Amino acid sequence: MSGTTEPLLELSGVAKDYAKVETRGGRLALVWDLLRGRGASHAFTALEGVSLSMRPGESLGVIGENGAGKSTLLKVVAGVIRPTRGSVSVRGRIGALLELGSGFHPEYTGAQNIDLAAALLGITPAELAEKREAIVRFADLGSHLDDPIKHYSSGMVVRLGFAVATALSPDVLITDEVLAVGDESFQKKCMAWMERYLAGGGTLLLCSHSMYHVQKLCRHALWLKEGRVERYGPAIEVTQAYLAWHEEKSGGAAARRPEVRTGEGPDVHRVKSLALEPGEFVRMGAPLFVRGEAYSPDGRAPVVLVGIVRADGTPVYGVATDMDGVSPAQTARDRFAFALTLPSLALLPGKYVVRAHALDPEGLYLFDHVEVPLTVTGDSREMGLVRLEHAWRDVVPHDPSNRGQIQI
Amino acid sequence: MKEPGARGAVARALFVQFFRREATTRYLGSVTGLAWALVHPIALLAVYHFVFTSIFRATGFAGSSFLAFVAVALWPWLAAQEAIQRAAVCVPGYGGLIRKVAFPHEVVVYASVAATLALHFAGYAVVLAVLRAIGEPIHLEGLLLAIPLWAVMAIAVAGIALALASLQVFVRDVEHVLMPVLMMLMYLTPILYPLTLVPERLRGWVAANPFTWLVARLRAALLEGRISFEVGDLAALAVALALFAAGRWMFVRLSPHFEDFV
Repeated sequence: MSGTTEPLLELSGVAKDYAKVETRGGRLALVWDLLRGRGASHAFTALEGVSLSMRPGESLGVIGENGAGKSTLLKVVAGVIRPTRGSVSVRGRIGALLELGSGFHPEYTGAQNIDLAAALLGITPAELAEKREAIVRFADLGSHLDDPIKHYSSGMVVRLGFAVATALSPDVLITDEVLAVGDESFQKKCMAWMERYLAGGGTLLLCSHSMYHVQKLCRHALWLKEGRVERYGPAIEVTQAYLAWHEEKSGGAAARRPEVRTGEGPDVHRVKSLALEPGEFVRMGAPLFVRGEAYSPDGRAPVVLVGIVRADGTPVYGVATDMDGVSPAQTARDRFAFALTLPSLALLPGKYVVRAHALDPEGLYLFDHVEVPLTVTGDSREMGLVRLEHAWRDVVPHDPSNRGQIQI
Repeated sequence: MKEPGARGAVARALFVQFFRREATTRYLGSVTGLAWALVHPIALLAVYHFVFTSIFRATGFAGSSFLAFVAVALWPWLAAQEAIQRAAVCVPGYGGLIRKVAFPHEVVVYASVAATLALHFAGYAVVLAVLRAIGEPIHLEGLLLAIPLWAVMAIAVAGIALALASLQVFVRDVEHVLMPVLMMLMYLTPILYPLTLVPERLRGWVAANPFTWLVARLRAALLEGRISFEVGDLAALAVALALFAAGRWMFVRLSPHFEDFV
């Protein structure tokens, strides 16, 4: 990983057309067109005019709806497809974690597949010789290494695939969603690897539906819409614009929250207790205290997210400790306390639920949540969810007997 | 971008992998295994021997027996035929990779061709040795010349395979057309008969077939022990290289679009 500010990756005006072939004759005509060096005469444009540049350490998140061209863009960057127009320049090694194990042959043993996958990834035999031991250790397949991989579980295949892909020590790592593979202990290894990778100046090209992950992991975001760049810039700006568009379009809230992991057992971050003060019933405008305790399996402070939703599930507000740059305080080896004050509760009267979520220390995965009911009392005919600060100007006191006569 | 040296090393590593994959999944995975590479041509040879010597009672095989005369030419033909047929359909078998991973697609064709030719060359050497052992007039030292002759054939076969394999991705009819065409070509090549038996007005056409040249050179080397270099060999090499260049040009033009069609 170089420390220069030269872009690692630069796309300029990249477009990709897919040939549309309806008839048998169309196939021959297509071959003829391609042999003459022309593009297909009937084509569907999957990408058009995509330009971007990535510098070392500046991770990029690609967002957009299904069919917007995200996968095509990742394939262009990975070199799987050549753009029809425009140019791609790459300075550095690209590793793709798109479909782990897609280069494996089922009849081969794990060890033979390491050779095959390494060759496909562009690892030279000399380089592989140095890295083989690390790959084998990371995949942790034990004696299964010499079994044909058709007898492997899908988790084992993925482990082997991840081990080979990461051995490449890529300058840019292309990945679809944050690594969510294998069992929990392997996920931890993946996350730890990813942290080291990012901390060491690694650069991600992440394609995700989770705005939370994009905001968390990427400096820039690129919003693709129908194959064109709708917006490209700082991750927060682009993801918020995307969410606003999405909410307007669907009328619902899109996934701004972290991915939910369910799990049992001692490995999982949990909220152990959650209480409201003064209690379930709070007067509008009065202070509300939310207190609780979280459990962390490894003694590192978890991220705690406290949110309020209306009884029908509409989210009202949520805030996490890491957003405000704080961490829950340790009270015992694996216990962490948190307390949140809302000095004057702006919620309009009604029924709500207060939720507390425990996330891993990186704030990437949401493991557990606990909720308590909250009823806001008070007399108000205001509409909506919250009282926004407001003031009327150029008005006179309201008088029901004054039936709109104009005073001259 | 990777420097060219590293890319060459990667392509070589891939070739080794794909070669192994082609060779092992084709023969070692089946019950009959490697033996099949020998059984098929031997069975054909036996049938031809029966038909031509017992029924037609054909003669005039340049002073050698029919068995040796045909064996010397039949193996390279079957090798070339099978290499072309297999390579023509080899790309879709790597569809999963082509859609997901960036790698030079042509390596797939080279591995397929090389696996078939290598296996049949091994069978060729074994059969010639056996024929010699049972007293057929085979000059085993002729194998020294057979190796470069097969290499020239491999270059031409690779070119034809590249063209057909890339075409097959778009037009699936290639494999169906190939079978009868190759069968006709076999009978139009002096494999089962000497060129001298061909009527004079057609002889020029049959002689123009590059495979006719290959068969003649192999017979001279293995049946007569004439291991020499001829000017015509250069022309044959030029033809093989031209076929290769044309096939590769076509493959390079079409392969960027495989991803969408495999």
